[in-house]
Amino acid sequence: MTHRLTPEHDELRAVVRELADERIAPRAAEIDTSAEFPWDLKELLAKQDLLGTSFEERYGGTALDAVGQAIVIEELARADATTSLIPIVQKLGALPIVLAGSDEQKDRYLPRLASGEWLIAFGLTEAAAGSDVASNRMRARREVDCYVLNGSKRFITHGSVAKVVTIFALTDPAAGGRKGMSAFIVETDTPGFAAPRLEHKMGIRGSPTAELTLDDVRVPIDSLLGSEGDGFKLAMDSLDRSRVSIAAQAVGIAQGAIDAAVSYAADRRQFGERVVDFQGIQFMLADMASQTEAARQLTYAAAAQVDGRASDLPYWTSSAKLVAGDTAMRVTTDAVQVLGGYGYITDYPVERMMRDAKITQLYEGTQQIQRLIIARQLLQRSGAAESG
Amino acid sequence: MSSDVFFLAEFDGGQAARSALELAAGAAGLAYGSGAREGASALGPAGAGRAVVLGDEAAPAITFAASAAAAVKEATPSVVLAPATPNGRDLAAALVGLLELPAFGPVRAVRIEGSAVRTEQATLQGTVITVSQPSDGAPRPAVVLVLANTFTPVEGGTGKAEVVDAPATDPGAFGQAKVAESHPAEAAVTNLEEATIIVAGGRGVGSEAGFGPLQDLAAALGGAVGASRAAADAGWVPYQLQIGQTGKVVKPALYLSAGISGAIQHRVGMQSAEHVVAINKDPDAPIGEFADLFVVGDLFAIVPKLTDEIKRRKGK
Amino acid sequence: MKIVVCVKQVPATTAEKRYTADFRLDRTAAESVINPLDEYAIEQALRLQESGAVDTVAYLSMGPEQAGEALRRGLAMGGDEAYLVTDDALAGADEWATARVLAAALDKLAPEVALMGMASDDARGSLVPGAVAAMRGLPLLSYGSELSLHDGTARIRRLTATGFDLIEAPLPVVASVTDQVGEPRYASLKGIMAARRKPLETWGLSDLGLSADALHGAAVTRVVEARAPEAKPPTERIENVSADEAAVKVADWLAARKLI
Repeated sequence: MTHRLTPEHDELRAVVRELADERIAPRAAEIDTSAEFPWDLKELLAKQDLLGTSFEERYGGTALDAVGQAIVIEELARADATTSLIPIVQKLGALPIVLAGSDEQKDRYLPRLASGEWLIAFGLTEAAAGSDVASNRMRARREVDCYVLNGSKRFITHGSVAKVVTIFALTDPAAGGRKGMSAFIVETDTPGFAAPRLEHKMGIRGSPTAELTLDDVRVPIDSLLGSEGDGFKLAMDSLDRSRVSIAAQAVGIAQGAIDAAVSYAADRRQFGERVVDFQGIQFMLADMASQTEAARQLTYAAAAQVDGRASDLPYWTSSAKLVAGDTAMRVTTDAVQVLGGYGYITDYPVERMMRDAKITQLYEGTQQIQRLIIARQLLQRSGAAESG
Repeated sequence: MSSDVFFLAEFDGGQAARSALELAAGAAGLAYGSGAREGASALGPAGAGRAVVLGDEAAPAITFAASAAAAVKEATPSVVLAPATPNGRDLAAALVGLLELPAFGPVRAVRIEGSAVRTEQATLQGTVITVSQPSDGAPRPAVVLVLANTFTPVEGGTGKAEVVDAPATDPGAFGQAKVAESHPAEAAVTNLEEATIIVAGGRGVGSEAGFGPLQDLAAALGGAVGASRAAADAGWVPYQLQIGQTGKVVKPALYLSAGISGAIQHRVGMQSAEHVVAINKDPDAPIGEFADLFVVGDLFAIVPKLTDEIKRRKGK
Repeated sequence: MKIVVCVKQVPATTAEKRYTADFRLDRTAAESVINPLDEYAIEQALRLQESGAVDTVAYLSMGPEQAGEALRRGLAMGGDEAYLVTDDALAGADEWATARVLAAALDKLAPEVALMGMASDDARGSLVPGAVAAMRGLPLLSYGSELSLHDGTARIRRLTATGFDLIEAPLPVVASVTDQVGEPRYASLKGIMAARRKPLETWGLSDLGLSADALHGAAVTRVVEARAPEAKPPTERIENVSADEAAVKVADWLAARKLI
C-alpha cells in the first residue's frame, strides 16, 4: 500500500493551510497564555467540515482517506497544536463507537460528532493506570436495568468540554483488566458525572485536560459497547488507529518551528551578515528539515497502512509516532536555539512549540510503550515472540 | 483627429471637484454633475480652454456616459483624462465599452506629445513599473485614468473656458440607474484621495480614542487622517478612511503612519506617496523597509511631542 | 433568477511576480488565486442564493487553462456551474478585449445580474464592469457595499464621501461590489469535494462568435517597457532615542523637505 499524494491532497493542504494561517495561527499565542479552550476555532473547524474527516459520509462525515486526515492534522498543528488536538480527540473518542457500536449507537452519536455539534472524549487513563492500562480500577456494576459506574479518570483531554465520553470500566474485576474491562458511552450530563479539576500543563495549554469523577453514575444497558470484556482490546484497537494522528500532529509542530526559524534567521543580522547565511545555522536547519521530512513520509506510509488494513498495523503506527514525536522535540528545541535569546521569550512562537512538542512523546502511549509495541512486532515476524 | 486633450470634470452643487482642477491644464473639460453648467467657467482659470457640459442634474455619473461618448466622437481628441475615482472609472469604462478605446491606468505619469500618448503605471503591487501606449492603429482617443495629486492645479490662472452644451443624447440603459435614496452622513468625511498630507493609523493605535493624537498631528500638519484595514474593520474610524487594496489609493506628498505594520495589502494603497514616514514600536515591521524615514518607538509618546514641535515651528 | 459572477485568476498578492520577455504577465510563474476582490462578489452572490433571492449562481472566467482552478475554488465556496473562456488568441488581452469577451459570454448566459469585484489585483484597472455594461447596453450599478434584489429591480448601497446612496435599476444589470459586502467564506471540505462534481464548461472564441481580428489581436494597448521601480535610497532610521529627541529629528526631516 503506497501513500502517493494526489492533486486532491495538495488542494486539501492548501485549503487547510489558508484557514490555519489566517484564522488559527493569529490566536495561538493567546490560547496558550489564557489556557482557554478555543470554542471559536472549534466552531470554525466544525463549519469547515474539518471535525468529520474520519467519519463516514452516511453519518455526515467526509470520510477522507487516512493520508488526507493526516494532512489536515499536520496543517492545523503547524499553526497551533491545541487546535489540532480537537479533530484528533474527536476521532479517538468516537473510535470505540465506530469499531464496536451497534447501528442504534452509531445513528445516535456519530452524526452529532461528525458535525462537531457534540465533542467527545476518550476516558481510559486513571491516576494509577497510565501506561499500565490493565490496572484500571473504575467499576461498572450491572443492575437490572442499568450499569452503575464508580471511580475516577485522569488526564482526559476534552473531558470538561465533551458532551459524551467513552469510558472504560471493569465489569468483572476478578478477571483483571485485560479480560474484565468493558467500554461504555456516557453522556456527561448524567447525574454523578463531574469534571472537577483541570491540569496546569507545560504545553497544549488551551486543551482542557480533566480529571473525571463518576459517583454512582447510572447508564442504560445499551450504552455498553460490544460485549462485556471487550474493553481492553477495544481501547488498544482505538489507540492503534489514532496513533497516526499524533504522528501527524508532531510533524506539523516541527514544520511550524522550522518555518519560524528560517524566517527569523533570514531577517536577523549579526556580525554584518544574515544569521541564515552562517554555515552552522544552515547545518542545523538542514537537519531539522530532512528529519521532519523523514517523519512526514513515515507518517503518510503508516496512514496508508491504516487504510490498507495491514496485519502489522501497530508496527507502522508506533514507528511513525515514535519517530515523529522525537523529531518534533528535537526540531523545536533546535528552533529555539536558532532564535537564540529571542527563542526563549514569548514574543516569538518557538518556545511554545517546544513546550507543545513534548506531549507527543507522552500521550496515546509513551515513546517507551511505542518501543515495546515495535519490538513485539519484530519478534512476531521473526517467530521469536513468547506465546500468550 | 485633433490633438485635443479632454478631461472629465465632476461637479457637485456647482463646485468643481479637485480632480477636475488637477486635470484641467491645457485641456477641454467634459463637465457633469449637479451645477455643472453654472460652475463650468471655473475650469477656465484652472487651464481649460473649453468646457462641454454633459448635463447638470445630480445623478449617478454613469448617466452621462452616452453624452460623453457623443462629445468625444464629435471632437475626436487624442486623449481623455479621467480621475481614478469610482465615478471617473465608471465613465472611463463606459467610453471604453461604447467606443472600443484603449485604456491606461491608473497612471503615475502621462506624456502627451502631439497625438502620441505614453503612460507609466506601477503594477503588481508596485514591484514593476510598466510603460504603455496604444497599439499601432488602435482607435482614438486613449482613455487614461489619473490618480489624484499626479498633477497640480494651476493657481491664480486667468484663462477663460468657452462653455458649450454637449449635443442632446439619450442616456440609454445607463440612464436607468437612479438614486432611490440618499443618506448623507452627519459630518462630511475628507476625501483622502485628494489629501496632500495624510496621517494614518493602524492596529497599533488600539482604539477609537487612540486616533485622537493622530487627528491632532494631522491638524498641525494641515492634513487628513487615514487608516489601515485593521483599524477600519475594528470600527475605530469610518470605512471611507481605509487605505489599501480594498480601500482608497492615495498619492500624498507626505504619508505618515503610526502603528501600521506595512503588509502588502496596505502598501498598494499608498506606495505612490512622495515621502513616507513610519512610526512603529516593532523594529522589524515590514513598513520599515519601504519607508523613507522609520522611527522605532511608542507612537503614543512620539506623536504628541511631534505635534507640539510642529506647532512650535509653525508658530514662529 | 441567475447570477453570473465574473472571476479572474491572478498571482497571489504575496508571490513573486514578473513579466515575460515580451512584456506579458508571466501567469505561470507565481501561485495563482482567485482575485481577492472577486471573492466578495462570490460571497454576495452566495448570500443571495441562500436567502432565496437567486436560484442559480454561475462563475465565468477568461484566462489560460489553469484559470479553471480559480473556478473550482469558487465552486468549492458554493454555486452551481462554471464557464471558462480560453483561447491562445487571448494571451495578453487588455481591459477592452477582456470586456469584449466577457460581454459576449454574458450575452450567451443571459443572467439577470452579471456581478464583479471592484478591481483586479494585478493590474488594478477596474474598468471591466463599466465597459461590459456599455457593450451589452445594460444599466451599471457599481461599487456596491451590498446588493439586493426585489420585484425585477436590483439595488446597491453605495458608500459616498458623505454617507451612502441607494441606487437601483431594472433587471437585467451589470453590478460590482466592494469588500464592504462582508468576509468571504472559506471553502469547506464538503464544498471542495462537491466542486469536483459540478459542471465546468470551456469555451473558445469561436463559441462566442468572436475572432482574434475582431479583438484587434486581443489588445489595443501595448506595454513597451517593464522595469523595476527606481531604487529608493535606504530607509533612514531613528531609534534608541527619547521621544522628545525623535520628535525633533522627525520635524527636522520634514522641514528639510519643505513639508512643514
